[in-house]
Amino acid sequence: MLGKLDWSAIPFDQPIPLIAGAVVLIAILAVLIWVVVKGHLPYLWHEWITSVDHKRIGVMYILLASVMLLRGGSDAIMMRIQQAVAYQSQGYLPPEHYNQIFSAHGTIMIFFVAMPFVIGLMNLVVPLQLGVRDVAFPTLNSVGFWLTATGALLVNLSLVIGEFARTGWLAFPPLSGLSYSPGVGVDYYAWSLQISGVGTLVAGINLVTTVLKLRTKGMNYLRMPMFCWTTLASNLLIVAAFPILTATLAMLLLDRYLGFHFFTNEAGGNVMMFMNLIWAWGHPEVYILVLPAFGIFSEVVSTFSGKALFGYRSMVLATMAICVVSFMVWLHHFFTMGAGPDVNAIFGIASMIIAIPTGVKIYNWLFTMYGGRIRFATPMLWSVGFMVTFIIGGLTGVLLAVPPADFMLHNSMFLVAHFHNVIIGGVLFGAFAGFEYWFPKAFGFRLDERWGKAGFWFTFLGFFITFIPLYIAGMLGMTRRMQHYDVAAWRPWMIVAAAGMAVLTIGVICQIVQLVVSIRNREALRDRTGDPWDGRSLEWATSSPPPVFNFAFNPDVRGEDAYWHMKAHAQQQSLERDRPEYQDIEMPRNSPTGFVCAFFATIMGFALIWHIWWMVILGGLGAWATFVVFAWRDHDEYVIPAEEVAAIDRVNLEERRSLISMAGAA
Amino acid sequence: MSDQTHMPAGHDLAPGDEEQHSVGTRILGYVVGLVLALLLTATSFFIAGTDLVWQPSIPVALIVLAIAQMGVHLVFFLHITTGPDNTNNVLALAFGLLVVFLVVGGTVWIMAHLNANMPPMDQIMMRQ
Repeated sequence: MLGKLDWSAIPFDQPIPLIAGAVVLIAILAVLIWVVVKGHLPYLWHEWITSVDHKRIGVMYILLASVMLLRGGSDAIMMRIQQAVAYQSQGYLPPEHYNQIFSAHGTIMIFFVAMPFVIGLMNLVVPLQLGVRDVAFPTLNSVGFWLTATGALLVNLSLVIGEFARTGWLAFPPLSGLSYSPGVGVDYYAWSLQISGVGTLVAGINLVTTVLKLRTKGMNYLRMPMFCWTTLASNLLIVAAFPILTATLAMLLLDRYLGFHFFTNEAGGNVMMFMNLIWAWGHPEVYILVLPAFGIFSEVVSTFSGKALFGYRSMVLATMAICVVSFMVWLHHFFTMGAGPDVNAIFGIASMIIAIPTGVKIYNWLFTMYGGRIRFATPMLWSVGFMVTFIIGGLTGVLLAVPPADFMLHNSMFLVAHFHNVIIGGVLFGAFAGFEYWFPKAFGFRLDERWGKAGFWFTFLGFFITFIPLYIAGMLGMTRRMQHYDVAAWRPWMIVAAAGMAVLTIGVICQIVQLVVSIRNREALRDRTGDPWDGRSLEWATSSPPPVFNFAFNPDVRGEDAYWHMKAHAQQQSLERDRPEYQDIEMPRNSPTGFVCAFFATIMGFALIWHIWWMVILGGLGAWATFVVFAWRDHDEYVIPAEEVAAIDRVNLEERRSLISMAGAA
Repeated sequence: MSDQTHMPAGHDLAPGDEEQHSVGTRILGYVVGLVLALLLTATSFFIAGTDLVWQPSIPVALIVLAIAQMGVHLVFFLHITTGPDNTNNVLALAFGLLVVFLVVGGTVWIMAHLNANMPPMDQIMMRQ
């Protein structure tokens, strides 16, 4: 009846996951009770859960990523403490628990922090920057978000029901095969990634279509803001690469569920095929994450330097070059696994070549800053911090791209330090820069600068105190994923790294405090103009937060940095000219399709993990029925009457006019 | 590419929408596609089992027929044309082909060289 599920699945003998699970459960229950008692449930349902508004979905993506960042960060703290204490002792985490923690840390940080954070920012900003009213497929967008949330839910469920994979974040066979991992851990891993992978794929299709098909009048390709270009490149990579992940995990699941032999050592299988395929996805994935961050830095650096982006066309070219070359380098993840010198040499050279477009970008940002009037607001601090950090990470990456060096450094702490160096210093710093930069746009008030700057400095310094020791430990021969060790020389560096982790944690706390303080002071921090940073692209041309339809009139773009030119040349005409007649606007209706679909997907995923076959059928039928109901809908749009559009738009215009007259008087 | 954005919205059509022909013409297109696809499939099955042709040419013939099949699907069912508002579709197809070529070609190449630093099994045996 319940497949493999029984009471032994709950880890009553392990206090850490049980207490952590209980605390999280109580917190969720408390929030739910508060929502219901206060009567916020209808608001949440109508305005957020069923929303198909790209801005709301973007915010929900970022919220999911932030919560998961705390979960993944807790795993990181536990690992650093373990390695600081586990010198010639067992530490406080038993091996099977430690293995689950590093696997969950990697899985969560890549799939449920970095991915939703960048997809959330793209969702929030790209339609605004393109000057359009929504993404190409609004309901599909909601489905994509909720399926991602399903994946995150399943991963966290493994904390208290059953176990998570002990295989590392990519679940290499034969360790992840049935004979070495008979439990449900790998199944939790694979099904949550399969379900959230569908969500990511539809988000990718949606954003590619949006950039290619929905641009406002005059917004041709070479007038698009840089962030739209990197969004296009990143989502092209999603569409091209995620099917490889899905197929690879499907083969692993066939091995585990139906006795296939794709990745076993017997019956003609080949485990190396898994490494090959997973990295054919895995390397483009790195650029899926970092390209949007490059776009964010381009926007931030140009805005806070008060200059147009230096070398816009070379930036576009570099972005698209990275997009293509990222598919030619994946073997550098397994240089040591047997390929001969000719194969290794070609992939090594390709890996070094990809550093060239990245270097072009760094120089472009530096030249954008050169001669500019730089304002060091928090987003700009994250951007400059990124340049320093990312260059170090990039250089150690080029070092690792040299096959002989890689033979020495493979699987060492040096590698761990390298990829944290590029992912924290590139993706996470970018996500934080974007968060600080676009927060006023999403909510209508700025974030507190003092706490934001404190958060930056603690994170920045904490990062170096944590990861420079890991580089050194790697040089001293320490391998990754060690539950305990007996080499005295490594010990001091592990203690320094743990101290650095404490500084990093203070940085995270500063950012949480920043959010709380800013919400409390929101009246003082209110942005009434819609343009708090003196921005250059179209998202600043509408109010903060933007109305549901984004723009009363779709903007007419005449060049790069569209909004900057409107402000500089045609400011008066554009804002004060006699507006043409306001017209009715059609917007897509909210739909519970995404939420209901993800609800059934969660049931199906859980049942598949525990082999509860009747429930699999139930969940599958439910998800399919949801799709059928949506496909046979009668009307999916509603009309905002012209008077309402006019009323909303006039309020915004009043604010802007007063801003202009104030600027004129000053 | 940039021409596209200056067109009135009515001309920016999704794939499949661009032919404003009558229903009859469109159905004819699908029928031609179906017949061609069936013909290519039948030929593949025939070639695979026949001894009328030089045997080593059979795999090559099957590959050619498969590629032709893909072409028929792209032209008649997915409506890839060389028309001006098909630039995106053609570029997407080219990008897709490039990625497939890189991943499949790279995989074959890598998997064929995996044992480059390993002596063959019989040599290991002989040394012992």
